Amino acid sequence: MRTKIGRRVILNGLAASGLAAPFIHPANAAPAVQMISHRFPALEYLAEKMRNAIPGVEVNTQLMPFDKALELATIAFSSKSSTPDIIYANDSTFLTFAKNGWIRPLDDLWEKHRQEFDLDDFTPTVRHEHSYRGHIWSVPSTSNVMLFFYRKDLFDKAGKQPPKTFVEYRDLAKSFNSPLRAGTISCLRPVDAALNESSWYINALGDGWFDEQWRPIFNDPKGVAAIDMLKQITRYAQQGFTSAANDECMIALQQDTAAMGLQWATRALAMDDPNKSRVVGKIDWAVPPQGHEPFGGDGYCISAFTKQDPDLLFRILAIATSKQNLRGAAGLMVPTRTSLLQDKQLAAKYRFYPAALASIAVGTGTPQLPEFYSVGDFITRGIQQAVTGEMEVKPALDAATAQTQAFLRGHGYYR
Amino acid sequence: MFLIPSATTLAAVLLYPLGYAIYLSLFNYDLGAGIERFIGLGNYGALLSEARFWDSLQRTVGIVSAAVALEFSLGLLVAYGLYRLSFGVRTLNLLMFMPNIITPVVAALFLRWIFIGRWGLLSGILISLGIFPPDFLGDPGWARATVVLADAWQFTPFMILVLYAGLNTVDQSQIEAAAIDGAGAWTLLFRIMVPAIRPLILFVLAIRMMDAFRFFDQIYVLTAGGPGTATETITLYTYSLAFRLLQVGKASALGMLTLLIVAGAIATMIAVLYRREKGSF
Amino acid sequence: MRLRRRVEVPLFLLLCAFTAVNLTPVGWAVLTSFKHPVDAFAVPPKLIFTPTFEFHYEVWVEKAFWHYLINSVIISASTVVVSVSIGTMAAYGLSRLASRTSRGVLFGILSMRMFPHILLAIPFFVLAKWLGLINTYPAMILALIAINQPFTIWLMRSFFLDVPAEIYEAAEIDGCGSWQVFACVAVPLVRPGVWVTALFSLLLAYNEFLLALVLTGPATKTLPVALAEYGAEDINYWTLSAAAAVGIMLPILVFMMLLQRHLVRGLALGAVKG
Repeated sequence: MRTKIGRRVILNGLAASGLAAPFIHPANAAPAVQMISHRFPALEYLAEKMRNAIPGVEVNTQLMPFDKALELATIAFSSKSSTPDIIYANDSTFLTFAKNGWIRPLDDLWEKHRQEFDLDDFTPTVRHEHSYRGHIWSVPSTSNVMLFFYRKDLFDKAGKQPPKTFVEYRDLAKSFNSPLRAGTISCLRPVDAALNESSWYINALGDGWFDEQWRPIFNDPKGVAAIDMLKQITRYAQQGFTSAANDECMIALQQDTAAMGLQWATRALAMDDPNKSRVVGKIDWAVPPQGHEPFGGDGYCISAFTKQDPDLLFRILAIATSKQNLRGAAGLMVPTRTSLLQDKQLAAKYRFYPAALASIAVGTGTPQLPEFYSVGDFITRGIQQAVTGEMEVKPALDAATAQTQAFLRGHGYYR
Repeated sequence: MFLIPSATTLAAVLLYPLGYAIYLSLFNYDLGAGIERFIGLGNYGALLSEARFWDSLQRTVGIVSAAVALEFSLGLLVAYGLYRLSFGVRTLNLLMFMPNIITPVVAALFLRWIFIGRWGLLSGILISLGIFPPDFLGDPGWARATVVLADAWQFTPFMILVLYAGLNTVDQSQIEAAAIDGAGAWTLLFRIMVPAIRPLILFVLAIRMMDAFRFFDQIYVLTAGGPGTATETITLYTYSLAFRLLQVGKASALGMLTLLIVAGAIATMIAVLYRREKGSF
Repeated sequence: MRLRRRVEVPLFLLLCAFTAVNLTPVGWAVLTSFKHPVDAFAVPPKLIFTPTFEFHYEVWVEKAFWHYLINSVIISASTVVVSVSIGTMAAYGLSRLASRTSRGVLFGILSMRMFPHILLAIPFFVLAKWLGLINTYPAMILALIAINQPFTIWLMRSFFLDVPAEIYEAAEIDGCGSWQVFACVAVPLVRPGVWVTALFSLLLAYNEFLLALVLTGPATKTLPVALAEYGAEDINYWTLSAAAAVGIMLPILVFMMLLQRHLVRGLALGAVKG
C-alpha cells in the first residue's frame, strides 16, 4: 500500500501542478497575434516572414492540412471567437468567410498602405480574385494555376507532342498506359481536389458550373459529355485515384508511375528535387489542352472579431508579401506581383514559368459563390458515382444538380 | 455518496454539450446561411426520408458487423492460442497490443502507406512477385474490405487482451473435469470456456459495436468515403453535414439518430443474450 | 493443461507470425521515417537505402516536439489520475446499489459514449470559450475526464461486482465507516483492475485528437494535434510525419513495458465480468 500511495502522491502532484501551471504564467505578456494557415512550402515560407515581420510583435503561426484549418476556422468563427486574428483563405473559402461576416473588409487599410507597400503591384486578376461585393477581403499571397505535366523523355521517344485537345489527351494517356506506369494521374478526392480537376472539364468542354442566377447547369448535355470524357480518361489513371489528393498525384509522377496529368504549378519545382523525385529533368510543362483550367489565389484575411489592432495585422501581412519576400519564394508559387511575373531572371531560372504564364492567360477562376465548397460535397459525390460507374453519368449529375439547387434555395437564392 | 464527484463532472461537462447538440438538432441551424430557425423534428424527418441516410446506415451496419465479427473470431482464436501457450506469452501480448496504442489518425496514415495503389507496401510486394495487385482503395468491394481490415487491425488486439484475461478466469475445476471426460481442445473452448465468459463477451462486443459505429478517422484518410459512395458511413455523412454543408442542426439530429440506433442495437443484443439468465449485468 | 511439445512449438510460431504481420504497418512506418522521400515511396519497396536522420532531427529539435510531449504527458497523467479516482468511486457506489437501478444508470452513462465524437467538438469549444479556458490545461483535462467516465465506470464496476457482499458486511460489523469500507477494503481487492482501467484511460487521453484540436492552443498543444499538422500536401511532410508518428508511440510503449506485470495480472485476476 505504501508504494501505491507514494506513486499516487507523485501523480497527484503532477496533476495539481498541471492544473496550476497555466495560472502561473506571467500575466503581463502581450498577447501574440494568432494565425492559422494551410500548409505547403510557399505558405511555410510566408509564415516565417510573418513571424519576423515586426520586431517586438510575436506572431504565432499554426499550419495544418487544408481541411483541418478550415474545420478549426469554422468552429472558431462560428462562435465569434477573438482568435485567430489572421486566417488563410483561398479564393473559394474567403467567400464563405466574407458572406458570414467572419472577416473584415480591407479597403480602408489597403488604401492607407498602398504607397508604402506598392500594393498596386499585385496583378488586377489577383485583386479581383480576392474581391467580393465590391470590397477586397484578403492580402493576396500566392497564386497558383494548374499546368499540364508530362514526361518529355517518354513523349520524345514516341515522337509525340503535348496534347492540344481532350481527345488527344485521352488517346495519349491510353497509349502510354501500362500496368507499371499509368497513362495519367487523376486526383478526385472529395471535395477540394475533385472540384479542381472536374472544373477543368466542365469549363473547357461544358458550359460551366452555374448560370448568372446561380442555377446549376452542369448536367446539361455538354456537361454530361464533359464528365463522360473524364470517365473515359480516368480509365488510364493511377490506382486509387478516387481518394487521391494532390500529394499522391505528385508522388505518382515523381516515382515514375504515371506519364502525365494536371497538377498545380506549386508542385512543379519538386519534380526536379533529387531527394524527392526519380524523374529529375524529365518532366516538362504545357498549357492544359483547351485551356479553362483552374487558377486560384490564396490570401490571408483578418478576423472580424479580432481584438488586435487591424492596422498592425495588415502591416504584418503586407510586409510578408512585399516584393522582396515574394521574390524569395518565386520558385514555390506563381507570383502575385506583376513585377515578379515579368522578371526575366526568374523566368529563366524556373523551368515551369513560361507554361505557368501562358496558362494563367487561358484559365478560369472559381465561381464567386460562397457556397461553392459546400455544394461541392454533392457535386463531387455525383462525379465520383459517375466516374466509378456506380451510376450512369446523366442521373448522377441530375441528382447532384437537384441537391445543389435545393441547398442554394435554402440559402435564399432564386428569389 | 460515492457517485457525487463523478456525477457532478459528468453533468457539468458532458450534459451541456449533449444537451446543446440535442437542442441544435431541433433547429435549422445553418452556419453558411446564418439561419437559426426552430423546426422541431424537421431535421429528423428530412434525414429519415433521405436515401443518403439509409444507404449510409446500411453500409455502416455492413462494415461494423464484418469488422466486429472478424475481430471477435480472430481475437478469440488468438486468445485461446495464447492461453494454451506456456512461454513467451507476456512478450507476445505486449507486441500484439501495439496497433491499439497508436493514435487512430496515425494508424490511418500507416495503413494508407500499406494499401495505396502502386507504391503502397502491399501493392509493391505483389508487383515484385509478378502479381498485378487489385486497387485496394479504388475498387468498391476492396475498399470496403480494406476499411474492415483497418478497423480489425487496430482493435483485434483489444479483443485479444480482454478475452485472454477472461479465459484465464474460467474455473480450473471445470476445465479439469472436462479434460478427464476426454474433451479435445476445441470442445474445451466452445463448450466450456465460451459459455463461462459470456458476460465478458457481451461487454467487448458492446464496446466494439459502439466504437465501430463512430469509426471515422481511418475511413476518412483511407478512402474519404469513396470510391463513389462505397464506404460512406453515417459518421462520414455527419462530418459532411457539419463541416462541409455547415448544416449543424441536421448534423446534430443525425448524431442523435446514431445514438438511438446504437443504443437500440446494444439493448437488443443484451436482451437476446440474456434471455435465459438474470445475469450480473 | 499443457500442450504437447509437438503442438505447442508450431502454435508459438504461428502466433509469432501473426504478430509479425500485425506489426508490419508499424515497422514499415519506422523504416519510412528514415528514408528520403524519393526512397520512401519507391516501387518496388526499398529495404536497402541510404538512411537519413534528418526527419527525426527535424521533429524533435527543429519543430520542438518536446514541448508537445510535455503537454501530452501533463494532460494525460492528470486525466488518468482524476478520472480513475472518481470513476472508481462511482463504480463502487453503483456496484452496491440494487441491480435494476444500477443497470439503468449504467446504460444511461454508457449511452453518452454512443454520440458521435465530432459533434461534441463545437459545444465543447463554445463552453470552453465562454469560460475563457481555451489553450489551458483544465479545459482539455475536464473534457477528457468526462469522456472517459462511462468506460471507466463500467469497467471498474464489473471488478467491484466480484467482491462478495460478505466482505463488506464483515467490514461494517468491524465498525468501518462507509469511506473506510471503500478505501481500506474494496479498493485493494480490485487494485489490478485499477491498473487496467488506468491503461485504457491513458490510451484514450493520450491519443485524443479532435477535442485536442479544438480545445488546445499553441501553449497546450498535444502530440496528436502537432502530428496532424504535417499530414498534408508535400511528400516531404509524409516522411516527417512518419518520424513524428514513431516518436509519439514511444512514451506509451515505454509505459506499457513498465506496467506489463500489473496489466496481465490485473486482467487475469480481475475477472472482467460484464
